[in-house]
Amino acid sequence: MYLKVESLEKRYGHLVPVSGLSFSLGQGELLGLLGPSGCGKTTTLRMISGLIHATSGKIIVGGHDVTHLPTYRRNMGVMFQSYALFPHMTIAENVAFGLEMRKLSKADIAQRVSSALSMVRLPALGNRKPLQLSGGQQQRVALARALVIEPDILLLDEPLSNLDAKLRDEMRNEIREIQQRLRMTTVFVTHDQTEAMAICDRIVVMNRGKLEQIGTPHEIYERPSTPMVADFVGRINRIRCRWRDDGAIAFGHTAIGAVSTGPAGSEVLVMVRPHRIELRSAGAKAGRAEGENTIPGTVRQVTYIGDSLQYAVESEGEKIMVEQATTSAGDTYKPGDAVTLNWRARDTLTFAAEADV
Amino acid sequence: MNDLTRRNALRLAAAGLAMPWVTKAQAQERKITLAAYTGMFEDLYKKTVVEPFMKANPSIKVNYVGMPTSAQNLGTLRAQKASPQVDVCIMDVTVAKAGANESLYKTVTTEQLPVMKQLTPSALIEGAPGPAVTFDMIVLMYAPQKFQDAPTSWKELWNAKHKNRIAIDAPPNLLGLGLTLIANKMAGGGDYRQSVAKGIELLGDLAPLVQTWEPKPDCYAAVTNGAVDLSIGYNARTQISSKQTPDRIAAVIPEQGSVAQINTINLVNGSSQTEAALQFMSYALSQEAQSTFTEAAYYSPTNPNASISADARQRTAATPEKIAKMIDVDWIAVAKIRDAITEQWRRNVISRS
Amino acid sequence: MKDSAAVDQSNSSRRAAGVVFGLLLPILIVNIIAFVVPVLNLAAMSFRSATAIGSLDEALTLSTWQSLLGDTFYWSILWRTVWMGALITAVTLLLSYPLALFVSRRSGWVKTVLVVACISPLLISAVVRTYGWMVILGNQGFLPALIRASGFTPPRLINNEFGVLVGMTEILMPYMILSLLSGFGRLDPILDQAAETLGARPLTVLRRIVLPLSLPGILLGCLLCFVLAVSSFITPKMLAGGRVSLLATEIYDQAIVTLNWPLAACLSVFILFVFGAALLAYGQLSKIVD
Repeated sequence: MYLKVESLEKRYGHLVPVSGLSFSLGQGELLGLLGPSGCGKTTTLRMISGLIHATSGKIIVGGHDVTHLPTYRRNMGVMFQSYALFPHMTIAENVAFGLEMRKLSKADIAQRVSSALSMVRLPALGNRKPLQLSGGQQQRVALARALVIEPDILLLDEPLSNLDAKLRDEMRNEIREIQQRLRMTTVFVTHDQTEAMAICDRIVVMNRGKLEQIGTPHEIYERPSTPMVADFVGRINRIRCRWRDDGAIAFGHTAIGAVSTGPAGSEVLVMVRPHRIELRSAGAKAGRAEGENTIPGTVRQVTYIGDSLQYAVESEGEKIMVEQATTSAGDTYKPGDAVTLNWRARDTLTFAAEADV
Repeated sequence: MNDLTRRNALRLAAAGLAMPWVTKAQAQERKITLAAYTGMFEDLYKKTVVEPFMKANPSIKVNYVGMPTSAQNLGTLRAQKASPQVDVCIMDVTVAKAGANESLYKTVTTEQLPVMKQLTPSALIEGAPGPAVTFDMIVLMYAPQKFQDAPTSWKELWNAKHKNRIAIDAPPNLLGLGLTLIANKMAGGGDYRQSVAKGIELLGDLAPLVQTWEPKPDCYAAVTNGAVDLSIGYNARTQISSKQTPDRIAAVIPEQGSVAQINTINLVNGSSQTEAALQFMSYALSQEAQSTFTEAAYYSPTNPNASISADARQRTAATPEKIAKMIDVDWIAVAKIRDAITEQWRRNVISRS
Repeated sequence: MKDSAAVDQSNSSRRAAGVVFGLLLPILIVNIIAFVVPVLNLAAMSFRSATAIGSLDEALTLSTWQSLLGDTFYWSILWRTVWMGALITAVTLLLSYPLALFVSRRSGWVKTVLVVACISPLLISAVVRTYGWMVILGNQGFLPALIRASGFTPPRLINNEFGVLVGMTEILMPYMILSLLSGFGRLDPILDQAAETLGARPLTVLRRIVLPLSLPGILLGCLLCFVLAVSSFITPKMLAGGRVSLLATEIYDQAIVTLNWPLAACLSVFILFVFGAALLAYGQLSKIVD
C-alpha cells in the first residue's frame, strides 16, 4: 500500500473532528473521501497534506512516516476548492512556482510549465492573470500547478463544487483521465456521491469524524454497511418493521421478503431504493418472479421530473417513494390509482433498528 | 453727590420712557472686549483689575479673551480687521508695533487718556500705539534644592556641572533674543544693532550643556518639575511659581544686569466702544489697578504712584538697584534683526548641542 | 407613444441629475468655504511680504518666494522633512506590519478586540501621548533611569531626532495598522497554504506571496503616514527640543512666533507640493502593483 493512514485523530479541546481513522490505498489508486459537511473529510485531507497537524496516529507515504514533516517537505500536490491561484502572478508563474521551489533550471521550468499547460488544454494562456480566466480554466490551472511538481500524492479538496453542473461532469472525467494516464495516487474529497461513484476506485464514507464504510462504489451502493451510508449514497425509503418467526418481515397485513433474517419479534429497519420498485396496476396478473415482494398501495402523488417519474404511494399507513424512468409509451398512474409495489427480495436492505441514528 | 443722584434720576426717567428701544442699545454700548494673555495672567488680571473696574463701573461689562501669545493676539486682530470684535488689547510692545504699521490700533493721546501723564517716561514708547501697562524682565531661574548658594551671575549657565540640566527658549522666542543681547554684552560684543557675533560665539560654548531649546510645556514647568536645574524666564511669572513652590524654583537678576519686557495696552482701530475702552485703559493705568496687579502678579507698575508692599517690591523688577542693572534695549530695533539672530542661533548655537 | 416615452426618459434622467446635484450641493458648499477659499487665501498671502518687525505689506510681490527658494536653509529643512517623514514611515511600517498581519489572521471576537486595541490610542489626544513619551524618555524619565540603574550613562533619548522618531512612530502606528488591515483584502491564508504545499518555506511564503499581495495596503499606509508625519508639528515641537527644524514646525514658528505670515504661507504652499509629489508617487506605484 502506498499511502497508509493509521488511527488518525484530530482534537481541538473537546471537539474531535476526526478520530480512529484508518485506511490505505495503493499506487495509482483514486480514493474518494465522501461524507456530509462536517464529517471530517477535509480535516483528514489537510492532515495528509500537513496543513493541519494530527493529534495522534500516523500517515505513511511509500514506507516513510510523514506525520511530523512540515507541508513544504511532503511533496504533495493539493488542489483547493477555491483553486487558491496566486492573483499577483501570471498563469505560467503560478504553475512554475512549485518548480522554482525545487530549484530547477529556467529552461527546465519553462519546458515543464508548457507541457503541464498543454496537458490541461490551456497552452496559450500562460501570460494571463488568474482573474482573467473562467472558473473552469482556473480549475485546470490549479490542476496543472498541483501536478507539475510530480507529487507523490495528489490531494483534491472538493475540486468541482464551484463549477456549474455541465462543466462539472466534463472536468470530473478529465481529472479521472489525467489521473489514470499519470497513474497518480489520488485522494479526492467530495460531498457529492455521484461524483465519487463516477471516478473513484474506492470510497471511504465518513460520518462524524469516523469511517463508516470503505469499499468500491458498487459495494458502497449495493451493500451499504450502515443506514447512514445507504441514505447518503442515494435516495432510499426507510420503514420500521419487525421480524416474523418465518424469516419474513411483518408489514401491516402483509410481509416483506429479504435475503437476510433476524430474530423473531425484534425491530428491523427496512430500506428500499425507489427506482428498484416497480409499480403495477392492482388487478394486473403479470408474471410474478420467485422471491419478489408484492405490496398493495394507493398512488397519492405524482411528480414529473423529466427523465423520471416520482410516485408517492401509500401502503399500510407508510409513504413509499417509487421512481420509474419515463418511457415514450408513458403508462403513468394517477393519484388514487390502486397499485402493487414490486421488488426483488435481494433489493430489500435490512439493518438492526439500533443502527438507525 | 446731589448732582449725581439727580442725573441718575433723569437718566432713569429717560430710560423708562425709551425703554423698549434703548435697553438693548445701551447694553451693547457698555460691553467691551479685552484681549490679553491666558493662564495665570488672565486669572490674576481678572481678579485684580477687570472685576474691580466692573464693580466701579456697573454699566460697563468687560469680556476677557485669553490669548496664548502676543503674536496670536495680533493674528486675531488681523483676521478681524474688517469688523473688530476686540476693543482693547494688552501685548508685547514689539508685537504691538508690528500691528501699528498695519493700522490695527488707534494711537491714544494724553488728551484722550490723561492718566498717561502720571506714567513713568519709559512707559511712553516711541512708535508704540499705546502706553506700557506692565514692566517685566528676563531672569535666571534655578532650582534652589540643587544650589547651596543662589547663583549670582549669568556665567552659572556655562558651568559644566549643569550639563543636560539647562533649558533655554531659543529665538525666535523673545527669551532667547534677550539672552543673546545679555551674552553679547558679557562677551564685550558692543552695540547689538551692529553685530551680536561675539554673543553668539559665547552662546555656542553654552550649547553642549543644554538639554532642550524648546522646553515643554514651558520653561517654568521644566524647572518646577525637576527636568532641569537652570533656565531663563520672565521675572513676574517666575515669582508666582516661586511663591507657590519656593524650594523648587527661584529667580535671580544676575550681576551683569538683564533686559526688560514691556506690555502695552492698546485701543483697537474700529472699536465701537471707544469711550468705554478708554475708561478701562484709564483704570488699568491708574494708581489703584497698578498697585493691586503688582501685588498679585509681580509685574512692575508703569504708574510710579502705585503703592507697593515691601515684599512685592522685592519680587518685582522695580527695585532701584535692579533698574540700575537693566540693559537698555530698543525692542523695535531687535525685532528687525530677529530673523538674522534666529538664523545665527541655528547655525552656530543649536548645531553645537 | 414612442416619442412621449423618450421625453419621459430624458425628463427622468434630467431629474436624476438634479437630485444628484442637490445631494452634492451641501458638501460642495462646505468644501468651497472650508477648503478652497482658505487655500486660495493662503496662496494669495504667499505673494505678499512682511517687514522685518512682522507687519504685512499690502503690495503683491514675489519677494517672499524669492527669498524662500533662494535660501539654502529652507532647502535643508525640506530635505530633513522628507527624510524624517520617510524614516518615520519606514519604522512605523516595520513595527505595524507584523501586528497587522497577526490581527488580520484572527477571526471573531479575538479579531475585534485586537483591532480595537490597535486603534484605541487614537482615543487619547496626540498631545497627551507625546507627554507620555516625555515622561518615559526624558532626562529624569523611566528609561534613562533604568539605563542608569544598570550602570550605564543614558544617551539623550529626547529633544533630538530620535525622540521625534519614537513619538511620531507611536502616534502614527494606529493609522498604519488600519491602512494595512484595509489593504489586506487579497491576502487569503489559503494562498499561503497553497504555496506551502508547493514547497515554499515560511519565509519564502512571506516574500513571494504575503508581501506582494499586501503591497496595496503598504502603499496606502505609507502615503497616509508620510503625509501625517510631514504635516504634524505638535509632537515634533514637543520632542525635538528645538533641535529639529521641519517644514511644519517652521510654518508654526513663522506664523505664530515671528508673525511672518507671507513666509508661513509660502512654506505651506511648498509643503502642498511635497504632498502632491507623494500622491503622484503613490498613484504611479499603485499602478505598477496592480
